[in-house]
Amino acid sequence: MGAVKGCDLPEELLYSIDNNVWVRREDDGNITVGMTAYACSLAGQVVSYTPKKAGKDVKKDKSCATVESGKWVGPAKTPISGEVVATNDAVSASPGLINQDPYGQGWLVKIKPADWDADAVDLKTGADALAAFQAKMDADGFKGCA
Amino acid sequence: MSEKISLRVLDTGLRRAAENMALNRTLLECHQAGDSPHTLRFLRFEPCALVGFHQNVEQELRVDHCRTEGIDIQRRITGGGAIYFDPGQIGWELYLDRRFLGTADMGEIARRICEAAADGIRRLGVDARYRPRNDIEVDGRKISGTGGAFDGNSIMYQGTLLIDFDVERMLRVLRIPAEKLSDKAIASARERVTNLRELLGEPPPLARVQSALAEAFAEAFQVDLVPEDDLNPREQTHFAQALVEIDSEDWVYQRHRPAGGMPLLEAVHRCPGGLMRAGVMLDEARDIIRQVWITGDFFMNPRRMLVDLEASLKETPVAELETNIHRFFDAYRVEMLMLSREDFLQVLRKALDSRDPASTRAGTHAAG
Repeated sequence: MGAVKGCDLPEELLYSIDNNVWVRREDDGNITVGMTAYACSLAGQVVSYTPKKAGKDVKKDKSCATVESGKWVGPAKTPISGEVVATNDAVSASPGLINQDPYGQGWLVKIKPADWDADAVDLKTGADALAAFQAKMDADGFKGCA
Repeated sequence: MSEKISLRVLDTGLRRAAENMALNRTLLECHQAGDSPHTLRFLRFEPCALVGFHQNVEQELRVDHCRTEGIDIQRRITGGGAIYFDPGQIGWELYLDRRFLGTADMGEIARRICEAAADGIRRLGVDARYRPRNDIEVDGRKISGTGGAFDGNSIMYQGTLLIDFDVERMLRVLRIPAEKLSDKAIASARERVTNLRELLGEPPPLARVQSALAEAFAEAFQVDLVPEDDLNPREQTHFAQALVEIDSEDWVYQRHRPAGGMPLLEAVHRCPGGLMRAGVMLDEARDIIRQVWITGDFFMNPRRMLVDLEASLKETPVAELETNIHRFFDAYRVEMLMLSREDFLQVLRKALDSRDPASTRAGTHAAG
Protein backbone atom coordinates (compact mmCIF):
# COMPACT_ATOMS: atom_id res chain seq x y z
CA MET A 1 0.00 0.00 0.00
CA GLY A 2 1.17 3.52 -0.80
CA ALA A 3 1.77 6.00 1.97
CA VAL A 4 3.10 9.54 2.37
CA LYS A 5 4.23 10.88 5.76
CA GLY A 6 2.53 7.97 7.48
CA CYS A 7 -0.82 8.51 5.71
CA ASP A 8 -2.11 5.48 3.80
CA LEU A 9 -2.88 6.28 0.17
CA PRO A 10 -3.70 3.01 -1.64
CA GLU A 11 -2.13 3.21 -5.08
CA GLU A 12 -4.99 1.52 -6.90
CA LEU A 13 -7.44 4.31 -6.03
CA LEU A 14 -7.99 7.55 -7.93
CA TYR A 15 -7.53 10.83 -6.07
CA SER A 16 -8.62 14.43 -6.28
CA ILE A 17 -5.71 16.22 -4.65
CA ASP A 18 -7.54 19.57 -4.29
CA ASN A 19 -10.62 18.01 -2.71
CA ASN A 20 -8.54 15.55 -0.68
CA VAL A 21 -10.85 12.64 -1.54
CA TRP A 22 -10.47 9.24 -3.18
CA VAL A 23 -12.60 7.72 -5.93
CA ARG A 24 -13.09 4.10 -6.97
CA ARG A 25 -14.99 3.07 -10.08
CA GLU A 26 -17.09 0.01 -9.33
CA ASP A 27 -18.02 -2.82 -11.73
CA ASP A 28 -21.47 -1.32 -12.30
CA GLY A 29 -19.97 1.96 -13.50
CA ASN A 30 -20.90 3.85 -10.34
CA ILE A 31 -18.20 5.44 -8.22
CA THR A 32 -17.50 5.47 -4.51
CA VAL A 33 -16.12 8.64 -2.92
CA GLY A 34 -14.40 8.93 0.46
CA MET A 35 -12.05 11.10 2.48
CA THR A 36 -8.34 10.30 2.34
CA ALA A 37 -6.41 9.33 5.45
CA TYR A 38 -4.70 12.70 5.07
CA ALA A 39 -8.02 14.58 5.07
CA CYS A 40 -9.06 12.57 8.15
CA SER A 41 -5.85 13.50 9.93
CA LEU A 42 -6.36 17.21 9.24
CA ALA A 43 -9.99 17.03 10.35
CA GLY A 44 -9.60 14.96 13.52
CA GLN A 45 -12.37 12.72 14.86
CA VAL A 46 -15.45 13.03 12.69
CA VAL A 47 -18.62 13.25 14.83
CA SER A 48 -21.37 13.99 12.28
CA TYR A 49 -22.05 13.08 8.68
CA THR A 50 -24.82 14.39 6.42
CA PRO A 51 -24.64 13.08 2.86
CA LYS A 52 -26.55 14.55 -0.06
CA LYS A 53 -29.62 12.36 -0.37
CA ALA A 54 -29.88 9.48 -2.85
CA GLY A 55 -31.46 10.73 -6.07
CA LYS A 56 -29.88 14.19 -5.78
CA ASP A 57 -27.54 15.53 -8.43
CA VAL A 58 -24.13 16.65 -7.28
CA LYS A 59 -21.68 18.75 -9.26
CA LYS A 60 -17.96 18.33 -9.72
CA ASP A 61 -16.02 20.11 -6.96
CA LYS A 62 -19.19 20.75 -4.94
CA SER A 63 -20.38 19.16 -1.71
CA CYS A 64 -21.45 15.50 -1.66
CA ALA A 65 -21.55 15.29 2.16
CA THR A 66 -21.15 17.60 5.15
CA VAL A 67 -18.94 16.44 7.98
CA GLU A 68 -18.24 17.79 11.46
CA SER A 69 -15.12 17.29 13.53
CA GLY A 70 -13.83 19.21 16.54
CA LYS A 71 -16.67 21.74 15.99
CA TRP A 72 -15.57 22.36 12.39
CA VAL A 73 -18.30 21.89 9.80
CA GLY A 74 -17.70 21.75 6.07
CA PRO A 75 -18.28 19.93 2.82
CA ALA A 76 -16.47 16.94 1.38
CA LYS A 77 -16.41 17.71 -2.33
CA THR A 78 -16.91 15.21 -5.10
CA PRO A 79 -14.56 15.47 -8.08
CA ILE A 80 -17.16 13.75 -10.30
CA SER A 81 -20.61 15.11 -11.27
CA GLY A 82 -23.58 12.78 -11.19
CA GLU A 83 -26.47 11.43 -9.18
CA VAL A 84 -26.10 10.15 -5.64
CA VAL A 85 -27.20 6.50 -5.69
CA ALA A 86 -26.26 5.47 -2.15
CA THR A 87 -25.27 6.95 1.19
CA ASN A 88 -23.59 5.14 4.06
CA ASP A 89 -25.95 4.12 6.90
CA ALA A 90 -23.11 2.62 8.92
CA VAL A 91 -21.34 5.98 8.92
CA SER A 92 -24.55 7.81 9.88
CA ALA A 93 -24.80 5.55 12.92
CA SER A 94 -21.10 5.78 13.70
CA PRO A 95 -19.34 8.70 11.97
CA GLY A 96 -16.02 7.68 13.54
CA LEU A 97 -15.86 4.94 10.88
CA ILE A 98 -14.61 7.62 8.51
CA ASN A 99 -11.43 7.92 10.57
CA GLN A 100 -11.13 4.25 11.42
CA ASP A 101 -11.54 2.89 7.90
CA PRO A 102 -11.48 5.75 5.37
CA TYR A 103 -10.97 3.49 2.35
CA GLY A 104 -13.39 0.76 3.43
CA GLN A 105 -16.43 1.04 5.69
CA GLY A 106 -15.97 4.81 6.01
CA TRP A 107 -16.93 5.73 2.42
CA LEU A 108 -19.12 8.84 1.98
CA VAL A 109 -21.38 8.42 -1.07
CA LYS A 110 -21.82 6.36 -4.23
CA ILE A 111 -22.50 8.34 -7.39
CA LYS A 112 -23.71 7.45 -10.88
CA PRO A 113 -21.35 9.61 -12.98
CA ALA A 114 -22.84 12.04 -15.48
CA ASP A 115 -19.69 12.16 -17.62
CA TRP A 116 -16.99 9.96 -16.16
CA ASP A 117 -14.51 10.37 -18.98
CA ALA A 118 -14.60 14.17 -18.84
CA ASP A 119 -14.35 14.47 -15.05
CA ALA A 120 -11.84 11.67 -14.47
CA VAL A 121 -9.02 13.41 -16.34
CA ASP A 122 -8.33 15.56 -13.29
CA LEU A 123 -7.84 12.56 -11.01
CA LYS A 124 -4.44 11.16 -10.15
CA THR A 125 -3.39 7.63 -9.21
CA GLY A 126 -0.33 5.56 -8.25
CA ALA A 127 3.02 7.32 -8.04
CA ASP A 128 1.59 10.55 -9.51
CA ALA A 129 -0.93 10.75 -6.69
CA LEU A 130 1.69 10.07 -4.03
CA ALA A 131 3.96 12.80 -5.41
CA ALA A 132 1.07 15.27 -5.55
CA PHE A 133 0.09 14.51 -1.95
CA GLN A 134 3.69 14.90 -0.85
CA ALA A 135 3.72 18.39 -2.40
CA LYS A 136 0.36 19.28 -0.84
CA MET A 137 1.49 18.11 2.60
CA ASP A 138 4.68 20.14 2.33
CA ALA A 139 2.73 23.24 1.33
CA ASP A 140 0.30 22.63 4.22
CA GLY A 141 3.15 22.35 6.73
CA PHE A 142 1.86 18.88 7.63
CA LYS A 143 3.96 16.77 10.00
CA GLY A 144 2.39 13.36 9.36
CA CYS A 145 -0.48 11.03 10.13
CA ALA A 146 -0.38 9.84 13.74
CA MET B 1 9.63 40.01 6.06
CA SER B 2 7.60 41.27 3.16
CA GLU B 3 4.67 43.65 3.37
CA LYS B 4 2.08 42.77 5.97
CA ILE B 5 -1.20 41.14 5.00
CA SER B 6 -4.35 43.15 5.68
CA LEU B 7 -7.21 42.05 7.91
CA ARG B 8 -10.47 43.90 7.28
CA VAL B 9 -12.41 44.71 10.45
CA LEU B 10 -16.20 44.86 10.28
CA ASP B 11 -18.66 45.61 13.06
CA THR B 12 -22.11 44.57 11.89
CA GLY B 13 -23.82 45.69 15.11
CA LEU B 14 -26.86 44.28 16.88
CA ARG B 15 -28.87 42.04 14.55
CA ARG B 16 -31.40 39.26 14.38
CA ALA B 17 -29.94 35.76 14.42
CA ALA B 18 -31.07 35.08 10.83
CA GLU B 19 -29.09 38.06 9.59
CA ASN B 20 -25.99 37.03 11.48
CA MET B 21 -26.20 33.46 10.17
CA ALA B 22 -26.75 34.75 6.62
CA LEU B 23 -23.68 36.97 7.05
CA ASN B 24 -21.67 33.90 8.11
CA ARG B 25 -22.57 32.11 4.94
CA THR B 26 -22.08 35.22 2.79
CA LEU B 27 -18.63 36.05 4.07
CA LEU B 28 -17.41 32.44 3.97
CA GLU B 29 -18.67 31.82 0.44
CA CYS B 30 -17.45 35.18 -0.82
CA HIS B 31 -14.04 34.51 0.73
CA GLN B 32 -13.93 31.15 -1.02
CA ALA B 33 -14.91 32.83 -4.31
CA GLY B 34 -12.20 35.45 -3.89
CA ASP B 35 -14.76 38.24 -3.40
CA SER B 36 -13.97 38.91 0.27
CA PRO B 37 -10.66 39.79 1.92
CA HIS B 38 -9.45 38.18 5.14
CA THR B 39 -11.87 39.58 7.68
CA LEU B 40 -12.46 40.00 11.42
CA ARG B 41 -16.14 40.61 12.14
CA PHE B 42 -17.72 41.67 15.43
CA LEU B 43 -21.38 40.87 15.84
CA ARG B 44 -24.13 41.02 18.42
CA PHE B 45 -27.48 39.31 18.68
CA GLU B 46 -31.04 40.06 19.66
CA PRO B 47 -32.00 37.29 22.13
CA CYS B 48 -31.77 33.96 20.32
CA ALA B 49 -31.01 30.28 20.67
CA LEU B 50 -28.62 28.83 18.10
CA VAL B 51 -28.26 25.14 17.42
CA GLY B 52 -25.12 23.66 15.88
CA PHE B 53 -25.26 22.78 12.19
CA HIS B 54 -25.90 19.08 12.77
CA GLN B 55 -28.38 19.37 15.63
CA ASN B 56 -32.14 18.95 15.75
CA VAL B 57 -33.95 21.99 17.14
CA GLU B 58 -36.57 20.05 19.10
CA GLN B 59 -33.95 17.87 20.69
CA GLU B 60 -31.81 20.77 21.88
CA LEU B 61 -34.15 23.65 22.70
CA ARG B 62 -37.31 24.35 24.69
CA VAL B 63 -39.09 25.64 21.62
CA ASP B 64 -42.28 26.71 23.43
CA HIS B 65 -40.32 28.70 25.96
CA CYS B 66 -38.38 30.44 23.17
CA ARG B 67 -41.62 31.37 21.36
CA THR B 68 -43.25 32.71 24.53
CA GLU B 69 -40.22 34.79 25.38
CA GLY B 70 -39.66 36.08 21.84
CA ILE B 71 -36.32 34.33 21.56
CA ASP B 72 -35.39 33.67 17.92
CA ILE B 73 -34.34 30.15 16.96
CA GLN B 74 -31.65 29.71 14.34
CA ARG B 75 -29.17 27.16 13.00
CA ARG B 76 -25.48 27.94 12.78
CA ILE B 77 -23.28 26.92 9.88
CA THR B 78 -20.66 25.89 12.44
CA GLY B 79 -20.45 22.80 14.60
CA GLY B 80 -20.85 22.19 18.30
CA GLY B 81 -23.80 22.48 20.64
CA ALA B 82 -26.77 24.77 21.20
CA ILE B 83 -26.11 28.16 22.78
CA TYR B 84 -28.12 31.08 24.06
CA PHE B 85 -27.10 34.50 22.78
CA ASP B 86 -28.30 37.96 23.80
CA PRO B 87 -26.95 41.53 23.77
CA GLY B 88 -24.88 40.71 26.86
CA GLN B 89 -22.45 38.83 24.65
CA ILE B 90 -20.28 39.81 21.76
CA GLY B 91 -19.36 37.54 18.89
CA TRP B 92 -16.05 37.63 17.04
CA GLU B 93 -15.22 35.72 13.90
CA LEU B 94 -12.38 35.38 11.46
CA TYR B 95 -12.51 34.60 7.75
CA LEU B 96 -9.15 33.33 6.54
CA ASP B 97 -7.72 30.54 4.45
CA ARG B 98 -6.33 27.29 5.73
CA ARG B 99 -2.72 28.18 5.15
CA PHE B 100 -2.99 31.66 6.66
CA LEU B 101 -1.69 30.34 9.97
CA GLY B 102 0.95 28.12 8.41
CA THR B 103 -0.92 24.88 9.00
CA ALA B 104 -3.86 23.03 7.47
CA ASP B 105 -4.53 20.99 10.64
CA MET B 106 -7.98 22.08 11.79
CA GLY B 107 -7.33 21.44 15.48
CA GLU B 108 -4.13 23.46 15.27
CA ILE B 109 -5.89 26.33 13.47
CA ALA B 110 -8.53 26.40 16.22
CA ARG B 111 -5.82 26.41 18.90
CA ARG B 112 -3.91 29.32 17.37
CA ILE B 113 -7.03 31.43 16.92
CA CYS B 114 -8.26 30.67 20.46
CA GLU B 115 -4.87 31.52 21.95
CA ALA B 116 -4.92 34.88 20.18
CA ALA B 117 -8.50 35.51 21.36
CA ALA B 118 -7.48 34.61 24.93
CA ASP B 119 -4.65 37.12 24.69
CA GLY B 120 -7.19 39.75 23.62
CA ILE B 121 -9.44 38.96 26.58
CA ARG B 122 -6.44 39.14 28.95
CA ARG B 123 -5.90 42.74 27.79
CA LEU B 124 -9.20 43.54 29.52
CA GLY B 125 -7.73 42.51 32.85
CA VAL B 126 -8.77 38.87 33.31
CA ASP B 127 -6.56 35.80 33.14
CA ALA B 128 -8.13 34.16 30.08
CA ARG B 129 -6.57 30.97 28.70
CA TYR B 130 -7.29 28.60 25.85
CA ARG B 131 -8.69 25.28 27.03
CA PRO B 132 -8.64 22.42 24.53
CA ARG B 133 -10.48 21.76 22.48
CA ASN B 134 -12.66 24.78 21.84
CA ASP B 135 -13.03 26.92 24.96
CA ILE B 136 -11.47 29.99 26.49
CA GLU B 137 -11.67 30.06 30.26
CA VAL B 138 -10.70 32.06 33.32
CA ASP B 139 -9.58 29.96 36.31
CA GLY B 140 -11.40 26.91 35.00
CA ARG B 141 -14.61 28.80 34.17
CA LYS B 142 -15.68 29.16 30.57
CA ILE B 143 -15.97 32.70 29.20
CA SER B 144 -15.90 32.02 25.47
CA GLY B 145 -17.01 29.08 23.32
CA THR B 146 -15.90 28.69 19.73
CA GLY B 147 -16.54 26.74 16.53
CA GLY B 148 -15.74 26.81 12.83
CA ALA B 149 -16.82 26.15 9.29
CA PHE B 150 -14.84 25.65 6.12
CA ASP B 151 -15.44 25.63 2.40
CA GLY B 152 -12.54 24.46 0.30
CA ASN B 153 -9.53 26.40 1.51
CA SER B 154 -11.54 29.16 3.17
CA ILE B 155 -12.26 28.93 6.88
CA MET B 156 -14.50 30.82 9.26
CA TYR B 157 -13.84 30.54 12.98
CA GLN B 158 -16.10 32.22 15.51
CA GLY B 159 -16.41 32.66 19.22
CA THR B 160 -18.63 34.22 21.83
CA LEU B 161 -17.41 36.37 24.67
CA LEU B 162 -19.63 36.61 27.74
CA ILE B 163 -19.71 40.21 28.89
CA ASP B 164 -22.79 40.00 31.10
CA PHE B 165 -24.53 36.66 31.21
CA ASP B 166 -27.50 35.11 32.96
CA VAL B 167 -26.92 31.36 33.31
CA GLU B 168 -30.49 30.78 34.55
CA ARG B 169 -31.86 32.29 31.36
CA MET B 170 -29.64 30.01 29.29
CA LEU B 171 -30.73 26.93 31.22
CA ARG B 172 -34.39 27.73 30.55
CA VAL B 173 -33.74 27.89 26.80
CA LEU B 174 -31.58 24.80 26.38
CA ARG B 175 -32.98 21.33 26.75
CA ILE B 176 -30.24 20.31 29.15
CA PRO B 177 -31.52 17.46 31.22
CA ALA B 178 -30.97 19.63 34.27
CA GLU B 179 -33.96 18.17 36.05
CA LYS B 180 -32.19 14.85 35.99
CA LEU B 181 -29.05 16.24 37.53
CA SER B 182 -28.57 16.56 41.22
CA ASP B 183 -28.68 20.11 42.64
CA LYS B 184 -25.01 19.82 43.32
CA ALA B 185 -24.30 19.06 39.68
CA ILE B 186 -26.43 22.00 38.50
CA ALA B 187 -24.64 24.30 40.90
CA SER B 188 -21.33 23.05 39.63
CA ALA B 189 -22.49 23.59 36.03
CA ARG B 190 -23.18 27.21 36.99
CA GLU B 191 -19.79 27.52 38.57
CA ARG B 192 -18.26 26.49 35.27
CA VAL B 193 -19.26 29.65 33.42
CA THR B 194 -18.21 33.24 34.07
CA ASN B 195 -18.42 36.65 32.40
CA LEU B 196 -16.54 39.94 32.31
CA ARG B 197 -18.98 41.85 34.50
CA GLU B 198 -18.65 39.26 37.24
CA LEU B 199 -14.86 39.24 37.01
CA LEU B 200 -14.28 42.98 36.63
CA GLY B 201 -17.15 44.39 38.71
CA GLU B 202 -18.63 46.15 35.70
CA PRO B 203 -18.87 45.33 32.01
CA PRO B 204 -16.15 46.98 29.91
CA PRO B 205 -17.32 49.20 27.02
CA LEU B 206 -17.90 47.29 23.79
CA ALA B 207 -15.43 49.45 21.90
CA ARG B 208 -12.71 48.47 24.36
CA VAL B 209 -13.53 44.78 24.05
CA GLN B 210 -13.37 45.02 20.27
CA SER B 211 -10.09 46.88 20.14
CA ALA B 212 -8.48 44.48 22.63
CA LEU B 213 -9.47 41.47 20.53
CA ALA B 214 -8.58 43.12 17.21
CA GLU B 215 -5.14 44.16 18.43
CA ALA B 216 -4.42 40.69 19.80
CA PHE B 217 -5.35 39.06 16.47
CA ALA B 218 -3.27 41.62 14.56
CA GLU B 219 -0.22 40.89 16.69
CA ALA B 220 -0.62 37.13 16.66
CA PHE B 221 -1.08 36.93 12.90
CA GLN B 222 1.23 39.82 11.95
CA VAL B 223 -1.44 41.66 9.98
CA ASP B 224 -2.54 45.28 9.55
CA LEU B 225 -6.08 46.07 10.64
CA VAL B 226 -8.23 47.83 8.04
CA PRO B 227 -11.58 48.98 9.50
CA GLU B 228 -14.45 49.13 6.98
CA ASP B 229 -17.97 50.42 7.51
CA ASP B 230 -19.91 47.97 5.40
CA LEU B 231 -19.93 44.93 3.15
CA ASN B 232 -18.66 45.35 -0.39
CA PRO B 233 -21.27 45.33 -3.22
CA ARG B 234 -20.76 41.65 -4.11
CA GLU B 235 -21.18 40.65 -0.49
CA GLN B 236 -24.35 42.70 -0.22
CA THR B 237 -25.91 40.92 -3.19
CA HIS B 238 -24.87 37.54 -1.78
CA PHE B 239 -26.23 38.48 1.65
CA ALA B 240 -29.69 39.28 0.29
CA GLN B 241 -29.85 35.81 -1.30
CA ALA B 242 -28.45 34.00 1.74
CA LEU B 243 -30.95 35.71 4.04
CA VAL B 244 -33.92 34.42 2.03
CA GLU B 245 -32.69 30.86 2.45
CA ILE B 246 -31.62 31.09 6.08
CA ASP B 247 -34.51 33.19 7.44
CA SER B 248 -36.87 30.25 6.87
CA GLU B 249 -38.33 27.28 8.70
CA ASP B 250 -36.79 24.98 6.07
CA TRP B 251 -33.30 25.99 7.13
CA VAL B 252 -33.91 26.19 10.88
CA TYR B 253 -35.91 22.97 11.27
CA GLN B 254 -34.07 20.77 8.79
CA ARG B 255 -33.26 17.41 10.27
CA HIS B 256 -29.73 16.33 9.81
CA ARG B 257 -30.07 13.07 11.58
CA PRO B 258 -32.69 10.97 13.25
CA ALA B 259 -33.51 12.19 16.72
CA GLY B 260 -32.28 9.41 18.93
CA GLY B 261 -32.38 9.38 22.68
CA MET B 262 -30.10 11.57 24.72
CA PRO B 263 -30.05 9.83 28.07
CA LEU B 264 -28.15 11.18 31.01
CA LEU B 265 -26.34 8.20 32.50
CA GLU B 266 -24.95 8.37 35.99
CA ALA B 267 -22.58 6.25 38.00
CA VAL B 268 -20.73 6.22 41.28
CA HIS B 269 -17.29 4.68 41.61
CA ARG B 270 -15.59 4.05 44.92
CA CYS B 271 -11.83 4.13 44.63
CA PRO B 272 -9.00 4.26 47.19
CA GLY B 273 -8.74 8.04 46.72
CA GLY B 274 -12.42 8.74 47.43
CA LEU B 275 -15.87 8.65 45.93
CA MET B 276 -16.28 9.63 42.29
CA ARG B 277 -19.57 10.53 40.61
CA ALA B 278 -20.04 10.92 36.90
CA GLY B 279 -22.85 11.96 34.58
CA VAL B 280 -22.62 11.18 30.87
CA MET B 281 -24.92 12.71 28.27
CA LEU B 282 -25.00 10.16 25.48
CA ASP B 283 -26.10 10.89 21.92
CA GLU B 284 -27.47 7.48 21.03
CA ALA B 285 -28.06 8.19 17.33
CA ARG B 286 -24.35 8.71 16.73
CA ASP B 287 -22.99 6.74 19.68
CA ILE B 288 -21.14 9.82 20.84
CA ILE B 289 -20.58 11.16 24.35
CA ARG B 290 -21.87 14.72 24.23
CA GLN B 291 -20.69 15.81 27.63
CA VAL B 292 -19.53 14.41 30.95
CA TRP B 293 -19.61 15.78 34.47
CA ILE B 294 -17.33 14.43 37.17
CA THR B 295 -17.42 15.33 40.83
CA GLY B 296 -15.97 13.78 43.95
CA ASP B 297 -14.14 14.18 47.25
CA PHE B 298 -10.79 12.90 46.05
CA PHE B 299 -7.59 14.96 46.05
CA MET B 300 -5.85 16.34 43.02
CA ASN B 301 -3.71 19.32 42.16
CA PRO B 302 -4.64 21.34 40.23
CA ARG B 303 -8.31 20.82 41.09
CA ARG B 304 -9.29 22.27 37.73
CA MET B 305 -8.02 19.13 36.07
CA LEU B 306 -11.61 17.88 36.32
CA VAL B 307 -13.10 20.65 34.17
CA ASP B 308 -10.22 20.38 31.72
CA LEU B 309 -10.88 16.66 31.42
CA GLU B 310 -14.59 17.32 30.90
CA ALA B 311 -13.80 19.85 28.17
CA SER B 312 -11.45 17.47 26.41
CA LEU B 313 -14.06 14.68 26.38
CA LYS B 314 -16.83 16.69 24.70
CA GLU B 315 -18.11 14.97 21.55
CA THR B 316 -16.10 11.82 22.09
CA PRO B 317 -17.21 8.73 20.14
CA VAL B 318 -17.88 5.94 22.66
CA ALA B 319 -15.35 3.77 20.83
CA GLU B 320 -12.68 6.45 21.38
CA LEU B 321 -13.29 7.10 25.09
CA GLU B 322 -10.29 5.15 26.31
CA THR B 323 -7.98 6.65 23.68
CA ASN B 324 -9.10 10.18 24.51
CA ILE B 325 -8.66 9.67 28.25
CA HIS B 326 -5.14 8.38 27.73
CA ARG B 327 -4.35 11.24 25.35
CA PHE B 328 -5.54 13.73 27.97
CA PHE B 329 -3.55 12.26 30.85
CA ASP B 330 -0.44 11.72 28.73
CA ALA B 331 -0.33 15.47 28.12
CA TYR B 332 -1.61 16.79 31.47
CA ARG B 333 0.52 17.37 34.55
CA VAL B 334 -1.52 16.59 37.61
CA GLU B 335 -0.81 15.29 41.07
CA MET B 336 -3.40 12.79 42.30
CA LEU B 337 -3.64 11.03 45.65
CA MET B 338 -4.54 7.34 45.44
CA LEU B 339 -6.27 8.01 42.18
CA SER B 340 -5.42 7.03 38.63
CA ARG B 341 -6.67 7.65 35.12
CA GLU B 342 -8.17 4.17 35.30
CA ASP B 343 -10.63 5.41 37.92
CA PHE B 344 -11.95 8.05 35.52
CA LEU B 345 -12.23 5.50 32.75
CA GLN B 346 -14.04 3.12 35.09
CA VAL B 347 -16.62 5.58 36.34
CA LEU B 348 -17.44 6.70 32.79
CA ARG B 349 -17.65 3.10 31.53
CA LYS B 350 -19.91 2.27 34.43
CA ALA B 351 -22.19 5.16 33.48
CA LEU B 352 -22.26 4.02 29.86
CA ASP B 353 -22.99 0.45 30.92
CA SER B 354 -26.04 1.65 32.85
CA ARG B 355 -27.91 2.53 29.67
CA ASP B 356 -31.15 0.80 28.94
CA PRO B 357 -30.24 -2.39 27.04
CA ALA B 358 -33.43 -2.08 24.95
CA SER B 359 -32.24 1.20 23.46
CA THR B 360 -28.76 -0.07 22.71
CA ARG B 361 -28.00 -1.01 19.16
CA ALA B 362 -26.46 -4.45 19.13
CA GLY B 363 -22.78 -4.87 18.61
CA THR B 364 -21.75 -1.26 18.09
CA HIS B 365 -19.96 -0.68 21.34
CA ALA B 366 -18.55 -3.70 23.00
CA ALA B 367 -16.81 -2.55 26.14
CA GLY B 368 -13.05 -2.42 26.10
